[in-house]
Amino acid sequence: MSNHLKFDRRQFLAGTALGAAALAGTTGLPGIALAQGRSGGVMRVSTDQAPSKLNPLLHRVNPEYVLGELLYSGLTRLGPEMQAEPDLAESWTSNQELTEWTFKLRPDVTFHDGSKLTAKDVVASFEAMLDPKTGSAARTNIGPIARVAAADDATVVFSLKGAYADLPVALAYTNAKIVPAAIVTGDMARLDREAIGTGPFKLVSYEPARLTVVERNPNYFIKDRPRLDRIELVVYPDPTAEASALIAGDTDLMLQVSPADYKRVSGASGVKGLRTPSGQFLNVILGCDQKPFNDARVRKALALAVDREAMVELVAEGLGSPGNDTPINSAYRFYQELPMREANIAQAKKLLTEAGYPNGLNLTLVASDRPSTRTQLGVALRELAKPAGFNIEVQTMPHATYLDQVWTKGAFYVGFYNMQPTADGIFSLLYTSDAAWNETKWNNKEFDRLIAEARSTADEAKRRDLYAQAQKLMHEEVPTVIPVFFDLLSAQRDYVQGYQLHPRGAVYRLDYVSLSDKAPKRG
Amino acid sequence: MSINYLLKRILTILFTLFVVSLLVFGITQVLPGDAAVMLLGENATAEQLAAVRERLGLDASLAVQYLHWLAGVLHSDFGTSLRTGLPVTEMMFPALGRSLLLALLSIGLMLIIAIPLGILAALRRGGPTDLGVSLASYVGVSLPEFVTATLVLITLANPAFGLFPATGYVPLSEEFWRGLHHLVLPVLTVSIILIAHVMRMVRSELVDVLHTDYVRAARLKGLSPRRVLFRHALRNALLPTITIVALDVGYLLGGIIVVEEIFAFPGIGRELIVAINARDLPAIQAGALIMAATYALSNFMADLAYAALDKRIQYA
Amino acid sequence: MPDALRRLLGTPQGQLGSLIVFAAVLLAILGPALAPYNPEQFHITARFQGPSSRFWLGTDQFGRDLLSRIMMGARSTLPLALLATVIGTGLGAVIGTLSAFLGGRADEAIMRTVDAVMAIPGLLFALLIVTSLGANAFNAILAIGIAFAPSMVRITRSVALAVRSQDYVKAAIARGESSRFIVVREMLPNVIAPIVVETTIRVSFAVMTLATLSFLGLGAQPPSSEWGLMVSEARSYLFRNPWMMVWPGLAIAMIAVGFNLLGDGLRDALNPRTSE
Repeated sequence: MSNHLKFDRRQFLAGTALGAAALAGTTGLPGIALAQGRSGGVMRVSTDQAPSKLNPLLHRVNPEYVLGELLYSGLTRLGPEMQAEPDLAESWTSNQELTEWTFKLRPDVTFHDGSKLTAKDVVASFEAMLDPKTGSAARTNIGPIARVAAADDATVVFSLKGAYADLPVALAYTNAKIVPAAIVTGDMARLDREAIGTGPFKLVSYEPARLTVVERNPNYFIKDRPRLDRIELVVYPDPTAEASALIAGDTDLMLQVSPADYKRVSGASGVKGLRTPSGQFLNVILGCDQKPFNDARVRKALALAVDREAMVELVAEGLGSPGNDTPINSAYRFYQELPMREANIAQAKKLLTEAGYPNGLNLTLVASDRPSTRTQLGVALRELAKPAGFNIEVQTMPHATYLDQVWTKGAFYVGFYNMQPTADGIFSLLYTSDAAWNETKWNNKEFDRLIAEARSTADEAKRRDLYAQAQKLMHEEVPTVIPVFFDLLSAQRDYVQGYQLHPRGAVYRLDYVSLSDKAPKRG
Repeated sequence: MSINYLLKRILTILFTLFVVSLLVFGITQVLPGDAAVMLLGENATAEQLAAVRERLGLDASLAVQYLHWLAGVLHSDFGTSLRTGLPVTEMMFPALGRSLLLALLSIGLMLIIAIPLGILAALRRGGPTDLGVSLASYVGVSLPEFVTATLVLITLANPAFGLFPATGYVPLSEEFWRGLHHLVLPVLTVSIILIAHVMRMVRSELVDVLHTDYVRAARLKGLSPRRVLFRHALRNALLPTITIVALDVGYLLGGIIVVEEIFAFPGIGRELIVAINARDLPAIQAGALIMAATYALSNFMADLAYAALDKRIQYA
Repeated sequence: MPDALRRLLGTPQGQLGSLIVFAAVLLAILGPALAPYNPEQFHITARFQGPSSRFWLGTDQFGRDLLSRIMMGARSTLPLALLATVIGTGLGAVIGTLSAFLGGRADEAIMRTVDAVMAIPGLLFALLIVTSLGANAFNAILAIGIAFAPSMVRITRSVALAVRSQDYVKAAIARGESSRFIVVREMLPNVIAPIVVETTIRVSFAVMTLATLSFLGLGAQPPSSEWGLMVSEARSYLFRNPWMMVWPGLAIAMIAVGFNLLGDGLRDALNPRTSE
């Protein structure tokens, strides 16, 4: 039984540059109807962070995900509508209980070093992902896998710890890439400098802080892709410089444009802005296991102090949508619309007094410096929550320190998350008691039950109902304040064809991109 | 310059480098943020962390760690970057080369502009040229680099005018003219402050020299003003300039950090900032040590040059 | 003293410098009281505005009045810079005078070490210290103070050396006064003048270095309105409202120029022997 996830296509298409030429059908096959452009050419992509890691199992930031897609493949990949598409796996089936999944591998796939891909490589890769010593983010994001085994050279069987309907989509996770078994058992460190994958491109040079160059893999298992000869990933730590480079034509595609710059950049001549609603959000984590946030009244009071439309204006420059304190918005398939929480200062004050803080509450909010919207949210929250009696001091810190000392540990800080392919993905990543990144420590049994049940059935209607209840629960109990969702923003030169902004925010599909005749010839 | 003097100076600089290494190592060891956690990420268990700490030698005493590091440094091995996993040397030395290119071009530009202007101001002392030069110097010295850089960005890199790219770097070996085009703005920004410094120094030194008895005597002897200027006054005035240029290298190493950051120029300053933000201890130590060592060495060269030229010029 | 003051105010540098510094200090003290708006208040419908009759210098990304923010920022920038300079000068003066007094081997050892420490460029030194201690305004001042100290050591030492050989010191030694007495009561007061000049000029460096550290994210933190931080935050909005960057930049420049001028003026006023 294979699954397809559909979500509101209209919304998705509304934002993309090539809405008209978008995907054909719902068969889940890669969009054959994409614009045919000239094959060949060199494209320069700019990013604002250095891809410091080359090993796909250790990737954590967007530019690294780009390289992961270019150089490696997973068993499945994420389609534009969050459905699982075949990548190294041609097809898959599962048993009735959804506890055992069998994947059939594509034949005649070779790694960049010439060795053939077999099920052994898949097994070794997944074992590495699941091994805590590797330290891969994939470990907790690819589903409840108990065991991976090779049934034969071209078949892999996953035995799960519990029923899990979304396995094929989960296996499309950014870090779940297949590397040679010989490397896993031999010298993993080689992957820090070399890329030995099965992806559409091969590594030419890697200078993480500056420039990474990849070129077409002539032995890629899909014959008419990739469409480009070379891709250069250039790092611009300064967003102004990055935007100027695109406008000047020094680069062809800018992966991420800040809300503040979007209007200007997309209005420049020769530049096309790309915008799509997504489930990417900023939230305020409230440590539910300690004072004062163990009292639901305090949490609700804070939620009532926030004017969400103002937040969208201030933090996303209007290029987003208001959040209703659940991580699921209309970009997700199982979204349940609830009445939007309006700011009510009087009510907020009342709740605070009831909770025992008639004179207000002093708090310190930690915001890391990346992206800068975290700090903006912090400052905005400080101002907006003042009238309700919240006295918030904003403390910024470098992202590295934040990851080290505050993330998943602190009591009151600003979080930032990309959209996940499934509702289960985001719920079990952050909000269930056994979540890998259980930041709120909400630990609500009822919530856990709803999520566990929804994950283990394939019945659409049942899932919809369960997820609706889960969203309602989060909205009422407010383990975290989620005031704003961001539209993903990007920009390209108009001669770039076939690039679609994917709401997931970490999926790029650059092997579908080509350049028109108007593109400059780069050496 | 005697051998004795030379030896003494060499000993001094070795001592200096030693103290610098101690300082850099000492200060950075106070850094919060466990290196092992940085390496393994948040998902690591206590045993893994302990294992990595042992592997990195973080459990040894500070003194031992220092000696270990120093030994490596002397073999040109600065350790492995916690961020990229690549040898720090591979990242730092090419970056240093690029920074030096930036510095040299800036100094070149500065010499071409600052010296003639300084001379002019000294000769036309009290006049509008002098006033203009003095004013410009004041402003140039009082603007922090990031302000200058931003002003340059707003004006010359404004996409509306399309004059210069706001971006960082294209290697000259790849595309010469384009590379040069990208270098203009960073070089200009760095030069501005150098020019302000040196212009002022040249002017005031020259003014002083022009009033000395020595020069007055030369004039009275009937030597032409130009001859007096070039053969006597100028050389004496330019001597302190060498010192200033050497000091400016030190300043450059500071200011260059900011300029490289703004223009995304992949020099050693930017590598250092990236390392600092990522808590990449080996890279921070290497970057700081290299920058300080470069400064110390350039001071050393300036001292030698000064000593060598001094006798010859003063009593020429 | 009043004599020096008259001389100071006699030169154009002295006048201008004193004026600027005085205005800045006044602003720092009265600051927010004079500000037309609450510096932290958002005006959501009036964001990114340029100078207008309502907001004289314009508004920022949250709609906060830039003039009010700058006035409040004087409270961060100025005292912090002064504090950093005082720390550096104090530290440097004590070590320098001590070294001069001790003389001989001890003096040599101290100076060699100081020279070595000076091999680290100021900003770099401050960067390292702030990175180790943690990025906030206070640590930034500490770092700048420590980074400034070595050069102050040199200056105080050279002046102290000149003074040491003066007669009144010899007399004090002959009288049998304790070392501490000599250092504090006899040497230091005469060392003051050049130090005052140097210190004044150092304030200007402190302002710029503090602003640079804040700019790099290693100094004052949001929502502070320290001027360097304002410039740093304004970078993202460079092309939407350039004024956000211009005003704090100008403010920094003015203060730096002011202290430079004052320093120059003081140098002439306290030392009538130096001619121009």
